[in-house]
Amino acid sequence: MTSFFRKLQWLMRRQGREAELQEELQFHLDEEAGERQAEGLATEEARRAARRELGNVALVQEDTRAAWTWTFWEQLVQDMRYGLRTIAANKTFSAMAILSLALGIGANTAIFSFMDSILLRALPVPDPRSLAILSWHTPRPEMHGSNRHDEDYDDPHGGYIGGIFSYPAFELLRKNDAIFSTVFGYQGAGSLNVAFRGQAELASTEYVSGDYFRGLGTPPAAGRLIAPDDDRTSAQATAVVSYALSQRRFGGPENAPGQSILINNLPFTVIGVTPPEFFGADPDTHPDIYVPMHANLLLQSREYSAATYLDPNYDFVVPMARLRPGVTAMQAQAALAGPFSEWARTADAKRRPEDVRTLVVREGAGGLDGLRRTYSKPLYTLLTLVGLILSLACANIANLLLARAATRKREIALRLSLGAGRLRIIRQLLTESVLLAVLGGALGVAFAIWGIRFLTLLLANGREHFTLRAELNWHVLAVVVGLSLVTGVLFGLAPALQSTRLDFMPALKESRTGDARGHGFRRFGLSRVLMVSQIAVTLLILVAAGLFLRTLSNLESIQLGFNRENVLTFQLNARQAGHNDPEIVAFYDDLRTQFSAIPGVRAASLSNHALIGMGTSGTMIGVAGAEPKSGSILTIGASFFTTMQIPMRLGREIDERDRLGSPMVAVVNEEFVRISLADRNPLGQRLELWHGCPKCDIEIVGVSANSLYGKLKGTPPPTVYLPFAQGGWPLQQMVYELRTAGNPLRYIPAVREIIRRADDRVPLSEVKTQSAWIDQTINQEIVFARLCTAFAILALAIASVGLYGTMSYTVARRTGEIGIRMALGAQRGRVVWMILREVFVLAAVGLAISLPATVVASRVVESFLFRMKPTDPLALAGSVVTLVSAALLAGYLPARSASRIDPMVAIRDE
Amino acid sequence: MNSNAPSRVELLQGTLDLLILRTLMAGPNHGHAIAKHIQRTSEDLLQVETGSLYPALHRLEAKGWIGASWKVSDKGKRARYYRLTALGRKQLASGQSWWQAFSRAMGLILNPGDQEGQ
Repeated sequence: MTSFFRKLQWLMRRQGREAELQEELQFHLDEEAGERQAEGLATEEARRAARRELGNVALVQEDTRAAWTWTFWEQLVQDMRYGLRTIAANKTFSAMAILSLALGIGANTAIFSFMDSILLRALPVPDPRSLAILSWHTPRPEMHGSNRHDEDYDDPHGGYIGGIFSYPAFELLRKNDAIFSTVFGYQGAGSLNVAFRGQAELASTEYVSGDYFRGLGTPPAAGRLIAPDDDRTSAQATAVVSYALSQRRFGGPENAPGQSILINNLPFTVIGVTPPEFFGADPDTHPDIYVPMHANLLLQSREYSAATYLDPNYDFVVPMARLRPGVTAMQAQAALAGPFSEWARTADAKRRPEDVRTLVVREGAGGLDGLRRTYSKPLYTLLTLVGLILSLACANIANLLLARAATRKREIALRLSLGAGRLRIIRQLLTESVLLAVLGGALGVAFAIWGIRFLTLLLANGREHFTLRAELNWHVLAVVVGLSLVTGVLFGLAPALQSTRLDFMPALKESRTGDARGHGFRRFGLSRVLMVSQIAVTLLILVAAGLFLRTLSNLESIQLGFNRENVLTFQLNARQAGHNDPEIVAFYDDLRTQFSAIPGVRAASLSNHALIGMGTSGTMIGVAGAEPKSGSILTIGASFFTTMQIPMRLGREIDERDRLGSPMVAVVNEEFVRISLADRNPLGQRLELWHGCPKCDIEIVGVSANSLYGKLKGTPPPTVYLPFAQGGWPLQQMVYELRTAGNPLRYIPAVREIIRRADDRVPLSEVKTQSAWIDQTINQEIVFARLCTAFAILALAIASVGLYGTMSYTVARRTGEIGIRMALGAQRGRVVWMILREVFVLAAVGLAISLPATVVASRVVESFLFRMKPTDPLALAGSVVTLVSAALLAGYLPARSASRIDPMVAIRDE
Repeated sequence: MNSNAPSRVELLQGTLDLLILRTLMAGPNHGHAIAKHIQRTSEDLLQVETGSLYPALHRLEAKGWIGASWKVSDKGKRARYYRLTALGRKQLASGQSWWQAFSRAMGLILNPGDQEGQ
């Protein structure tokens, strides 16, 4: 350190020190000369001898100075200055290089920041590493009960995994003090109607066990959080609100504790506020309200009772646990698996022994992994694609640097011959390329910020409560810096090595214009390899884009069975706002009448689900006498079929006659008739429902054409349409459908006004067009198709620019040769063909390598495709044609300029 | 002295620093005198190249092993005088013991008989 300061001092007084050094050496010379004189030499002679003995004074000074400087850093600064000068001197080249790198790095950064926030980041709670996720494993799919979190899924290692437990099972897990310090649980309640001072809104709500906040280790931002004493049947109704809600509704967290709110029209007292960064244990949700688990007895009194809490076969709790220090998830599983299976066997005696659930304990630092499961494969696929694009950009710049290095060959040869070290020159060339990369990286960060915004918009696609947030953080920025440096070295190394390897004597002797004729192919081996691999990689990206575009067009041409255009939909939940039977039926029906009267609305109806994108209801349905079969149920209002433009095949549709108290009726679709009625006349047949209304006698009065219901990618299910007004099926939320003239979104203000006047406690949600519902269900495919198209255009542009640059350079170097050919009588067309043939060969070799690889690689994305194979001939052929035409176009321009070479000028140049 | 002994010995890498430090034990001196002293004391066996002397002096100064100041020489001219610092003294001691161990080891291997004879 002191040595550092001495050097610094020296540097600060550099001028003076230089003079002193001069003086010191001069003194040495004088002394030496004096000594020689004393030995008998003449004055002049002695001075010269002294000079000879000292050697090269400048060199001695240089070496001495080196003792005082940081050679490495000085050279670095020197190299950077030189690099910046070169970058400034070749504006077009540099701008292109930096831009393509910036696009590549920006795309990688944007995708990576999503990966970071979805796949890598831990929950914002203390010591996330000691959290564990508890789930069960069975050989067969099964699930009894409900929870909005963590749908069950197929275990990739076989069997089936579920994360939702019954309350007795949860109690059992809680007993293991030696392994877990806390076991806590929660249950998603969905959107509930939350009213404060008469203003209602839908707020995402979570039921949490008394240990939940203690287990996660979350401190309150204000007030206190839910404690075990709050989570009892007899406890006062309490709620904790999110930081965001406290700001939105109470004007800040400090005002929230003590306030009374209505949740689904029941009074709750706010006791505290969660910290701003907290979002619960499931990264997929951002709850606004937390209420004790036992509040589901109040809020969902139809589904939950004291008996539910004792039923070992009704699953509704997602448990998580905090491991005691030193205990691993693996050890916990080993210790608990036995007792759990023992319990599971006795809990349900009817279960076959091989179907008994086994306990699975996994690390849970990242919280629930539903979001990770959904997005990990798409994100890895996208990351691969953008990684390939970055490699294209790198190859391009390496190629352009190679071309440039060839023109700088004389300069480098000169420096090598003057004694510059090879390493030194490589270092300098690398500094230059890293500098390019760092500039590209800096611009890339700007692109990334924009890209993240764009991607968030694309992924959200108009959804109201979109919870996915990605941002740049030091984590991501560190990756960007690393990426820039690595790419810089990557595309700089090969050209640097190649340009300094040359035997410099011939290079010095060479003329400035033409050279190396005849063995041009060998000399540009590396550049050709780069071109071929660029073409190969571009094909891969083009095929991916082709496959996703075709998938999207397949999805968009699905026969829906109804007319999706010009339909406005929105959801109302009057039950949550305090409306009860039988008044609620009149409330819903009266609104329908008012909506139909809005000028421009051609027809209006309502149903308990939107046709696509919202889920379905269903039960076992029997037609008098026959064996019951599984079918879908949709409850609808009057003129539903008219509004959705689903044709009626037989009988009549549901209309105003079908009200509470009138004979119960239903419309079925053709698929239902095919499966359950065969050749019998459907009209007048009687239906029996297992759930909803098991004792009801329902008559079929009409048959409609098939229409999709629930999943877009499925086939029309056998469906029974029941009038919502007749009580044949539980009545909760309703979705209104308005067929409008012109843009449906124009009618939103009129709709809001009608609802406000009817009852302003009922919030309006999911306001969107029927088309938007459908688009949201195929959002991933839309995003993939759009992103991949953008990627493909980018890849094609980068590869074309590279090809154009390389071919122009080849033409420039072969000016003399082409001139001679033309002087000897070669036609212009022949010259064009000569250059194009080279492009063609490059493209053909690239395609030959890439096609088999692409066919293999595209299997990875098979699960993203719809009604097509990864070897779709149209996508493959389209990609090949696009690529070859782009390559020929990029090659044609240099070829044309080659054909315009004036033979006289070219030869005279030699 | 042996008849086929060399008249001059190349300095070993790194030994110049040690020689400079040892020379300055006698008191502050300027570069030229240091070189002459090494030459004379080694009976002209060691010749210090000026091209490596000054870089070495400045390197030692940068390390803080020797200090430098301008003084008027005995001939009345301004000269840069170097002196040993406390740090330099410590370095010299460790350098000396290293050299002794090294030369003893070399001797043991090159002249196995000598050791017993003495």
